[in-house]
Amino acid sequence: MILKELWHRKANTVLSLLGLAGIVAFIVGFLTTAEAAKRETKRITRDLGFNLRIIPEATDMDRYWFDGYSSETMGQDTVNRLAAQEGIFMSYNHLMASLKMPFQLHGREVILLGVAPTITSADKKKRPMGYSIKEGTLQLGFQVAQRLGLKPGDQLSLGDHSFSIAKCLVESGTEQDIYIFGSLVDVQKILDREGQINEIKAIDCLCLTADEEPVKILRQELAKVLPEARVIQDRVQADARAKQRQMVENKFGFLTPFLLVVSALWVGVMAALNVRERRGEIGVLRALGYGSGKIASLFLVKAILLGLIGATMGFALGNALALSVGVEIFKVTAKAIQTDWSLLGYALLAAPLFAAMASFIPAMQAVAQDPATTLRED
Amino acid sequence: MITCDAVSKVYPSRSGEVRSLDQFDLKIAKGEFLVVRGGSGSGKTTLLLALGGMLRPSSGSIQLMEKDLYGISNQERAQLRSSSIGFVFQMFHLIPYLNVLDNILLAHPGKAEESVRERGKTLMKDLGIEHRLYHRPAELSAGERQRAAIGRALLNQPELILADEPTGNLDPKNTDEVFKHLSQFHQAGGTVVVVTHGEAANQFADRVIQLDTGRLVETPSNGHSEPK
Repeated sequence: MILKELWHRKANTVLSLLGLAGIVAFIVGFLTTAEAAKRETKRITRDLGFNLRIIPEATDMDRYWFDGYSSETMGQDTVNRLAAQEGIFMSYNHLMASLKMPFQLHGREVILLGVAPTITSADKKKRPMGYSIKEGTLQLGFQVAQRLGLKPGDQLSLGDHSFSIAKCLVESGTEQDIYIFGSLVDVQKILDREGQINEIKAIDCLCLTADEEPVKILRQELAKVLPEARVIQDRVQADARAKQRQMVENKFGFLTPFLLVVSALWVGVMAALNVRERRGEIGVLRALGYGSGKIASLFLVKAILLGLIGATMGFALGNALALSVGVEIFKVTAKAIQTDWSLLGYALLAAPLFAAMASFIPAMQAVAQDPATTLRED
Repeated sequence: MITCDAVSKVYPSRSGEVRSLDQFDLKIAKGEFLVVRGGSGSGKTTLLLALGGMLRPSSGSIQLMEKDLYGISNQERAQLRSSSIGFVFQMFHLIPYLNVLDNILLAHPGKAEESVRERGKTLMKDLGIEHRLYHRPAELSAGERQRAAIGRALLNQPELILADEPTGNLDPKNTDEVFKHLSQFHQAGGTVVVVTHGEAANQFADRVIQLDTGRLVETPSNGHSEPK
């Protein structure tokens, strides 16, 4: 009877299915592309670079901003102590110890920057950010390489040590063009600062915008672990990173409840119209001795059936959209977009429940409807 | 069979209360064919629905088959309607998306067994619409639709048929046909109550009563005032 009614009232059926399939398609489409979007976001935020600098507390900040490095140093174990702190990776991540100081080279001053391998959370298995430089090798900033006429494979002596040039960097248009990058151990040797660092670069994981004062939280946490250090946040970069991360979540977070409400109203209105259209039918069923349970089940079972069909249609549509449009949007991370069959299972469970809930009030209206009123209208 | 004791039905309206039935007393004997006549707004349909357990009176009581119709639970009343009462309406109220046979079988709660299906088909044959078995109501003439509705009312072999203007939309030929079928049910021992504003039913009636604004006003000269 329900199937025949669905077929008979095609317009109502099609419109109800559109409402259900639409919301299922949206959610399935979003979730199918979510992994790719997440990877894309990670890639973008990774490219934004480090936004935190942890420097010795005793640093003269005027000099620091003028020189671009701290003349004070701290023990290299500082970074290990920080990394060992429980829960620190909830706030700080991708910890990279470095030593950065000026160095006289052929009568000109260059900046030597030694970096240690990045430390990340062991649990999250994140790919370390930044770059690692093999011991015994150097990477030259554009200006340095140009001035000295060096190319990859050449040798360069710094102090008593000789290094192989691994890479000559392209012009950056920043002060990094006069940098020489090496491994932390090598730079410590060149500068005769073994076991010393003057900066830990990191990324904040709070993803809070400036108005939420993330730096206050970061400083409170650091003060507990490393009282000999202070943290500086690059707010422009941190904000850009936070906004990029929040953008996708915000859009989904806003759109999903909105579309759920619209869809529920849509399905509910369709069910209410259906009840109104079937007043005579309800009246005669009452006259034939059908109880409230049977009357309600006519509408609720119908809603469940519509939910099942809508879930299947929505899954097919959302999946097809994700596999076609999603791949175009997330070109770099497109491989992450794959059919997730578990979403079909969830849709088949959730959509009928959702449809039944949306149709509940109209079904109760059908039950509460006075059949005599309809039948007296003849 | 049926006893109405001081039954009143009052509807609130903007211009004050409307008394559709006013202290109405009536006895209907088992096996009686009663015609209730009256104009629009006389309370005929209200009476019929009240007798069928579809409309609770504002006051008074109705005894149906020795049961206080509105003293029993909704479920019991629904069960009583299903097993003992058949309704026939002026507008037929057939379900548009079911074929004629399924419409008739609708009176049987749950999935109809083969014996019930056979009974439905036999009824259709008796009613002269066996060739319409799998047709939709929209494909039937008005007379055929009403005969299908009578088939639905008869499926559960009820003791009482309540018919509300059953020939209101029919031509004289189909009107005769419908009353002939109701009369057959009556002659087989069934009780029939027909409300109508026409006179075509009178020839089949054991008794004709006249309603006006919810009260029994007179017994028509060509009718009978008391059960036979």
